[in-house]
Amino acid sequence: MQTILLYIDPGSGSYILQMIIAAVLGISFFFKNFWLAIKTFLFGKRPGKDEEKDKAE
Amino acid sequence: MQPHPASYRDTEGFIFKHDGNMYRYIHPNYEVHYAQLMNSGLYEELFKKNMLVAHREIYETGSFHFSEGRVLLPEQIPFISYPYEWSFDMWKDAALLTLHIAQAALHKGMMLKDATPFNIQFFKGRPIFIDTLSFENYVAGKPWIAYRQFCECFLAPLLLMHYCHPGTHKLFSVYPNGIPMDVLANLLPNRSKWNMNTMLHVHLQVKFAGKPNQKPGSENNFSKQKLEILLKGLESFVQKLSLKKIKTTWDDYYTGTILGDDYLIAKTALVKTFISDLEYGHVIDLGANDGHFSSLFAPGIQVIATDADPNCINDLYLRSRQDGRANILPLVIDFTSPSPAIGWNNAERESITSRLKADLVLALALVHHLAIAKNVPLHLIAGWLQPMGEHLIIEFVPKTDEKVKLLLQNRKDIFDKYDLENFKTIFANTYQVVKEEKVGNTDRVLFLMKRK
Repeated sequence: MQTILLYIDPGSGSYILQMIIAAVLGISFFFKNFWLAIKTFLFGKRPGKDEEKDKAE
Repeated sequence: MQPHPASYRDTEGFIFKHDGNMYRYIHPNYEVHYAQLMNSGLYEELFKKNMLVAHREIYETGSFHFSEGRVLLPEQIPFISYPYEWSFDMWKDAALLTLHIAQAALHKGMMLKDATPFNIQFFKGRPIFIDTLSFENYVAGKPWIAYRQFCECFLAPLLLMHYCHPGTHKLFSVYPNGIPMDVLANLLPNRSKWNMNTMLHVHLQVKFAGKPNQKPGSENNFSKQKLEILLKGLESFVQKLSLKKIKTTWDDYYTGTILGDDYLIAKTALVKTFISDLEYGHVIDLGANDGHFSSLFAPGIQVIATDADPNCINDLYLRSRQDGRANILPLVIDFTSPSPAIGWNNAERESITSRLKADLVLALALVHHLAIAKNVPLHLIAGWLQPMGEHLIIEFVPKTDEKVKLLLQNRKDIFDKYDLENFKTIFANTYQVVKEEKVGNTDRVLFLMKRK
């Protein structure tokens, strides 16, 4: 078993991992946007966020 | 044409040096990707945003000839620095640049086939992508081939500096192909597992290492949308990382120590007088600390500001970036353990000693640290500085100085020959003293010397 492992590229598994990460992050982004949409609806547009973005650019 | 010793991995082309310029040869089997890069508008978009190095195609040349393929002449980068010499925010900017480029490429039907910080250089104060051959046509359904490399080459050093210590980026010189995920996972504190991104990109990746990529017969179905989410997720993760705050000896060297304003004003005036009669284009500031003296130079003068303290260099980078001082390149270098020549056959990455060449070298408040704190004899210091530049501005700090007294406080004084007369005699072997002035009302002496 040990000798077989030596010949497997340590990058293997990366495909499944990327699938999992994309799924987890996708859900996380969905809820983040959902939450932002609720906040924007309740409190209006937040000027602070845009200013920060302008500065970064 | 002999490829550069570091340019052996990619079968689709290589870089080579000719008449002092770096060129890039592109093999015909890269043509389809190169055409997409140039015709999709990606090259123009990235080069206009100063993200990708500009190049022009060379059609006619008498001095070298290739029977097929193309030759590019990229804009020349005056000084090559290596990632293990960068501070935290330099790494962070380099990582974000890689992710921006990957996202821009994806919009134009391309992707980055590798993700190493060696593809990035600091040019005019900002990171710039220099490997034109890193772009390949995007194949629908394929995950990011360079994902693991990105994690090992960018995330790993950033996470170590975030969780452990600002100086841990140096580990990258031991693992220049990327810090292995299992090494990283063992170095990170347990609390890192509570961070969703660290858990996903590091700890989970260790669990998956060695497992086969996919079941035989299953199809590539990693959608473009998923790839965008992955890149966006990495970007927001890197964006949130900050440098672990650890107070070092050199924080507030000039502002919070016994050496007050008068000393600094007097020294600044002297340095300004010394440089006023000199002609120079490239300057090295050794032990630059907060970059006070590096910033005395005009915007057209390239200044390499080095210090062993990663916090000082990071602050200098952030300040220079904010003030638009694009001529200063801050680098973390400890000269008692300088960056060695590394990589295959010790020829891929040059040592810092062979790269540091300038017209003027500043060694201010440095000699006593090397001579007293690190036991480096004066003749070795003179021999080390001499090949670095034509002119040298050097400060001698005698034993009567408060700082030297502090250095000698807890150790035996074995430095009988450390005095002004001996310093002058030794440096007279390799330098001619042009000017010599006492600094304000201290016992320190500033010299302008010219190489013999």
